[in-house]
Amino acid sequence: MIELHGVSKVFPAPNARSEPVVAVSNVDMAIGDGEFVTVVGPSGCGKTTILNMIAGFEHPSQGDILLDGAPVLKPGPERAVVFQQPSLLPWMTVADNIAFGLTLRDGRRGVDRARLEGTLQTMGLQDFATHYPYQLSGGMQQRAAIARALITDPAILLMDEPFGALDAQTRSDMQRFLLSVWTELQHTVLFVTHDVEEAILLADRVLIMSPRPGRIAANLRIGLSRPRRWDMVMDRDFNEYKRKVLKVLRPQ
Amino acid sequence: MGYSPLQRSAEPSQEPARHLRAMIADAQAPVTSKAYHGYVPWMVVGVIVILWWAVSALHVFPSLALPSPGRVARDGYVIATTGYNGYSLLANIGASVTRIAVGFLAAIIVGVPIGFLMASSKIIFNAIDPLLQFLRPIPPLAYIPVMVIWFGVGQLSKFVLIFVCTIPIIIINAMSGAKNVQETRIRVAQVFGADSRQLFRYVILPSALPEIFTGMRVAIGVAWTCLVAAEMIAAQTGLGAMILTAGNELRMGVVFVGIILIGLIGYLMELSIRTVETRMVPWKGKA
Repeated sequence: MIELHGVSKVFPAPNARSEPVVAVSNVDMAIGDGEFVTVVGPSGCGKTTILNMIAGFEHPSQGDILLDGAPVLKPGPERAVVFQQPSLLPWMTVADNIAFGLTLRDGRRGVDRARLEGTLQTMGLQDFATHYPYQLSGGMQQRAAIARALITDPAILLMDEPFGALDAQTRSDMQRFLLSVWTELQHTVLFVTHDVEEAILLADRVLIMSPRPGRIAANLRIGLSRPRRWDMVMDRDFNEYKRKVLKVLRPQ
Repeated sequence: MGYSPLQRSAEPSQEPARHLRAMIADAQAPVTSKAYHGYVPWMVVGVIVILWWAVSALHVFPSLALPSPGRVARDGYVIATTGYNGYSLLANIGASVTRIAVGFLAAIIVGVPIGFLMASSKIIFNAIDPLLQFLRPIPPLAYIPVMVIWFGVGQLSKFVLIFVCTIPIIIINAMSGAKNVQETRIRVAQVFGADSRQLFRYVILPSALPEIFTGMRVAIGVAWTCLVAAEMIAAQTGLGAMILTAGNELRMGVVFVGIILIGLIGYLMELSIRTVETRMVPWKGKA
């Protein structure tokens, strides 16, 4: 379980003429085990900052972040991250990239080959194991990045607009892929996006953020049945949720 | 596993149609077989030789100043078989190449770690950078008298000269390569708990390799230029010394042989670095 208590983040002024930037202001939230939570908000609302603080890349200016009761101080494999930008290491094959966390933990020879094979299968990447990232499409690359994050069995998967750089068709494919992986593995997920439909389709719960200074404006539980199907976006219930989210995001 | 976009298109496995199979075969064939342009450089060489021959045959310049291609070829054959200035041609080439290899390898072995240290520590950067920037604009030829007096006219002064004139290039490229590692890649390693040794081995070193190779390609050109100049000033062996002696004896054919060999060897060194580069950094320019 991840808890944020009164977390704020202030970035120092970039130059003498500007003010310090309050990116996140007094955020309280909790993510239960096995829960799929999405954070949706306009760009610059501090949603990535929240994710970076949970990941341990940045430290809160105020407040505490706890993972199962212990404070988060630095990055660690129990909080795996999938980035928006391509983040596979170009000098490693897909298999080596996916095994990266295992390699760092157990050494090159200590990598659990069976586990690696299993992950390649689950992720539909078995035919690409010896390819290099630049030989893969954007969607495949992100799929490998998800595999790399999941192989170390993290307590929470942090996803920072992972499909933001993909075209609409691939993005929809990847959403369905993620849903099917999640149905199987039931990891705790915090998923940041600016796409309202994506936020609702994937989540048990949507946190809606207000623009700067970022705070959580609303907390919406999504009651759509699981497993989710992509065509739910046309359901009446779905549109009702969408209306609620948009009402918070665009009050006028 | 319920859903996979991969399986979607693989409807009851049909044999790919003939034109598709041809396309697949085409895509799998090595690129060079598609369109072979290997003859183009040879054509350029051919045109230049013909022009050269024409100009010398028309006696636009006295034959002492511009020997014909045939004359140069003959001189080349003669010095290749009987040697010149008391040394065989191979000994002259060997002397030059050995000097380059030793000085240049030493510059890489010392320069790359210095560049990495400068990238990793502000203090080390501040200690070394002024020295580096001071040495950089000094033409290496200005060192030659110093080198000769300190290290003699033998091999050592040439090793040191090559070392001194290439190491700034190597250092600067290694440093910039190590500094410009993408933030996301460092974060990936941090997430998986990399210690500083692992971070270096798996992320920083490979990230810096493309720039290190760029530095090596620039440096080897500079090294070769410096060396030939140094051999003209203070050496008995080497292609530079051979050219200088031939010039003094007005043997222009031998001078041309030397010039052509210098160009060819420089080109070969560039090609060999390029080959190692495509082996070690196949992703360069693609990620």
